[in-house]
Amino acid sequence: MKTFIRYILILSYFTAVPVFGQADSITILDEVFLTDTKLKDFSTGQEVTILNDSVLKKNGALLTSALNFNTNIYFKENGLGMVSSPSFRGTSASQTAVLWNGININSQFNGQTDFNTINAGGYDNISIRGGGGSVVYGTGAVGGTVHLNTQLDFSKETQNDFFLQYGSFNSLDARYKLKTSTEKWSLSIALARNSSDNDYEWPGRYRKNENGEFYNNNLNVAIAYLLNENNTVKFYSEVFDGERHFALIRPSETKTKYQDFNNRSLLEWVSEFGDFISVAKMAYLDENYKYFDNIARENYSSGNANTFIGKYDLKFLVSEELQFNTVLSNTYTDGDGSGIEKNTRNIFSAALLMKHRPVEKLDYELGIRKEITGNYESPLLFSAAAAYNFTSYYSLKLNVSRDFRIPTYNDLYWRDAGNQNLSPETSNQVELGNQFNYRNFSLNLTGYYMQIDDMIRWLPAENGVWRPKNEESVEIYGLESKLQWENKIFNNHYLNLTGTYAYTVSENKNTGRQLIYVPFHKATAAVNYVFNDFSIDYQFLYNGDVFTRSDNNEKFKIDAYMISNLGISYDFGKENTFTIGARILNIFNEEYQNVEDRFMPGRNFNMYINFNP
Amino acid sequence: MKRISKLLTMAILSGLFLNSCSSDDDINEPVKPQPENSYNDGFFVLNEGSQTAGTVTYISDDLQTSAQNIYEVVNEDDDLGEFIQSIVFEDDLAYIISNGSNLITIVNRYTFELVEKIDSGLLSPRYGVIENGKLYVTNQGSYEEPGATEFDDFIAIIDLESLTVEKTIENNTPLEFIEEENGLIYVQNAAFNNGNGITVIDATSNEIINTINTLENLNSFEIENGVLYALNTSSLEKIDLALGEVLSKIMIASEVGTPTNLVLEDGMIYYTIGNSVFTMSENAEEAPDEALFSYTTDSGQYGKMYGFEVEDDRIYIADGGDFSSNSFVEIYTTSGELLENITVGVGPNGFYFND
Repeated sequence: MKTFIRYILILSYFTAVPVFGQADSITILDEVFLTDTKLKDFSTGQEVTILNDSVLKKNGALLTSALNFNTNIYFKENGLGMVSSPSFRGTSASQTAVLWNGININSQFNGQTDFNTINAGGYDNISIRGGGGSVVYGTGAVGGTVHLNTQLDFSKETQNDFFLQYGSFNSLDARYKLKTSTEKWSLSIALARNSSDNDYEWPGRYRKNENGEFYNNNLNVAIAYLLNENNTVKFYSEVFDGERHFALIRPSETKTKYQDFNNRSLLEWVSEFGDFISVAKMAYLDENYKYFDNIARENYSSGNANTFIGKYDLKFLVSEELQFNTVLSNTYTDGDGSGIEKNTRNIFSAALLMKHRPVEKLDYELGIRKEITGNYESPLLFSAAAAYNFTSYYSLKLNVSRDFRIPTYNDLYWRDAGNQNLSPETSNQVELGNQFNYRNFSLNLTGYYMQIDDMIRWLPAENGVWRPKNEESVEIYGLESKLQWENKIFNNHYLNLTGTYAYTVSENKNTGRQLIYVPFHKATAAVNYVFNDFSIDYQFLYNGDVFTRSDNNEKFKIDAYMISNLGISYDFGKENTFTIGARILNIFNEEYQNVEDRFMPGRNFNMYINFNP
Repeated sequence: MKRISKLLTMAILSGLFLNSCSSDDDINEPVKPQPENSYNDGFFVLNEGSQTAGTVTYISDDLQTSAQNIYEVVNEDDDLGEFIQSIVFEDDLAYIISNGSNLITIVNRYTFELVEKIDSGLLSPRYGVIENGKLYVTNQGSYEEPGATEFDDFIAIIDLESLTVEKTIENNTPLEFIEEENGLIYVQNAAFNNGNGITVIDATSNEIINTINTLENLNSFEIENGVLYALNTSSLEKIDLALGEVLSKIMIASEVGTPTNLVLEDGMIYYTIGNSVFTMSENAEEAPDEALFSYTTDSGQYGKMYGFEVEDDRIYIADGGDFSSNSFVEIYTTSGELLENITVGVGPNGFYFND
């Protein structure tokens, strides 16, 4: 009961005390041009949140922080900048798919994306969609999907954007973006570096975070060429190079570090003829890691996976109201590593999608997908969604889907432990969303229910070897809400408010207990106030307490915490081409841990300049 | 790391438990409230922990009282480190070895108050034994995979006065259990059923003086009356220590798993397979077909019999559980009757008798 009261207090806190505002709002989907066109076309029954460039500059380059303060996703972060795995709608880390320009980039080895190995400065926007999406996005799209997008246009304009931020713990966040285009050519470059000594004081513990330093560099280049009116060729490429030391809990522990090197390319040819739009894609993903279990020595373990994807997507526009879409794709992966013999796998998939607007107020869509592979038995996936606009104030959304997460390389092929008889994890889910809009106010309330079967879990087996099995079933239900309001309050005074709240029950069906590291409550709020060239913004995050033991032992819970950040900025120049700003993170110096024994930093500071001539 | 002087160590050594501390220790350290608990009539269960630090449970000899997290109770804001592996007793002190944190925490064995920590020179420490004022600790370094030919395992020899590693002995084999017998240190050259042989170190010269061959897949060993009992995954070998001759070999076959947890107590040999305890006389020439008893567990193969001990007419069993929540121990008579089931911490792996 106490937590409930606390949550009511928090709700009233960000609804009733609109002191600050946020001009850079989290915009609704429509106006944004996405490469990942499926996200726009086939999200009828789902809620999509878009974080644009200015929002992504507020929380540093670690993607964990940006999503933590702006979305319902909970993160289990092993100390700032360390391994960070999401729990989207109470699901596990490998049940959130990350898409880079529409291509699934979750690791072939563990099926996850570590959100601290994504540099938020590399993209033009990051979109987050709650709920299943395996029909379109494949494995891992169970709890939700995170889309890293690069935008290209033919506006014939050139834009440069320099962003440089420096702060506590010798932390550097440097970003440069170039967008330029002619009638026929379009180019986008995003270069980002993030580094930190990350040696913050452990609040109240009289010691520093040891061996927590990290750096990463990210280069994203995209080119489009308009062959003629009906044909466009696009090429996207990304290189990520990062190294992290893993922070110690106790100074006597062995120092370790981890290196990631990822290389991604995507070639796309879009062709329009008659009532058809065809998109042919070829993608190549090169994933590498090295783990040094003792940095005093040169030995390391490693993994390398090369993935080749060929995709053909044909859309048939029967009318303005009705479209059909077939997607054929073939994914070939070739991977090996220190613990993994060289193995290849090939997955062919076929999907059929349909979208229809029979009457003006109703949209619905249907989709099915089937994969064919020798590696595991693949279920038939489907989705069905509808949205009905009752009035301009209110619409209702419905989405039903079956989604999956396939066994990973580690699950299947880990030496002496991998289990080649694994089935994919499958989920069946349903969600109902309510969208309220009134003038500058919008509120989304979504309830969902999901059941996940055949969850793959690594369990101790003979001789101290842990082996994966399709063991657990999980039942999840919850409520997500998102609120947004912006207004001009006086002349030149603007106020903007956003907030999210999620209630999540995620139970192991065998035991009836809440999964560890899934909070019942999470809330965020952001307020931004702008007056002429001056702006001030406030961010708030509440993570409810989480269990750390599978028996939900109350004694070992991690306590709830509230974090607040405050930023100010000022625009210079006639065209406001030059901005300087400063931020205070964790202003109330909350002593908190996100993972047991992993302290997060107390109050810390940074300053930045942003120049876009 | 706060260094406590030798004087204080001596004071605590001579102070025994509870109220008999000499006034000397006031010189170096403010007086702490005396703990209400004293752990002299019972045994400790070591819970290795999983995502977080390991803990120690105390259980009284009459099995009627137990206390959890006894280190944290008297040493606030501190813990024993990750994956605590074993305890070594000497005089009034207990040396608690944390394998995940390269740390040995020295506590008063009767109050569990912190005395000192050894926090350098170790790399994945496992087991220890004390002889001639030195603590010999096996270290597994980076845990080489099965089939490896090069090992970074070593034995750290720690001087108990300076608490520093004086010498290391490398052997290019895995190094696991360690025993002392008549001034010689015996170290098992196999871990997790990989490897074979016992290295013998002279505790006076601290040099390797011999290597005793055993069969492959050595699991555990014991020494009794000049005989080495070496249990591997399919048999038990008895080897005469003086002559180095194999005296006999008893085949042990089972469809449910391989034998593990060799213990010799009061003329009997004990070992476990899966969730069952087997026993035979030290002189037996054949392994028993029937288990003495089996216990009920939900734990996977790995967690069954995660800790096992036989002491003074009782059999002690620890169940690893799911390694993510509190588990239990069970205490049986040597005829296999259950005396008590007691809840302990996460991943209980061993029993240490405080007497």
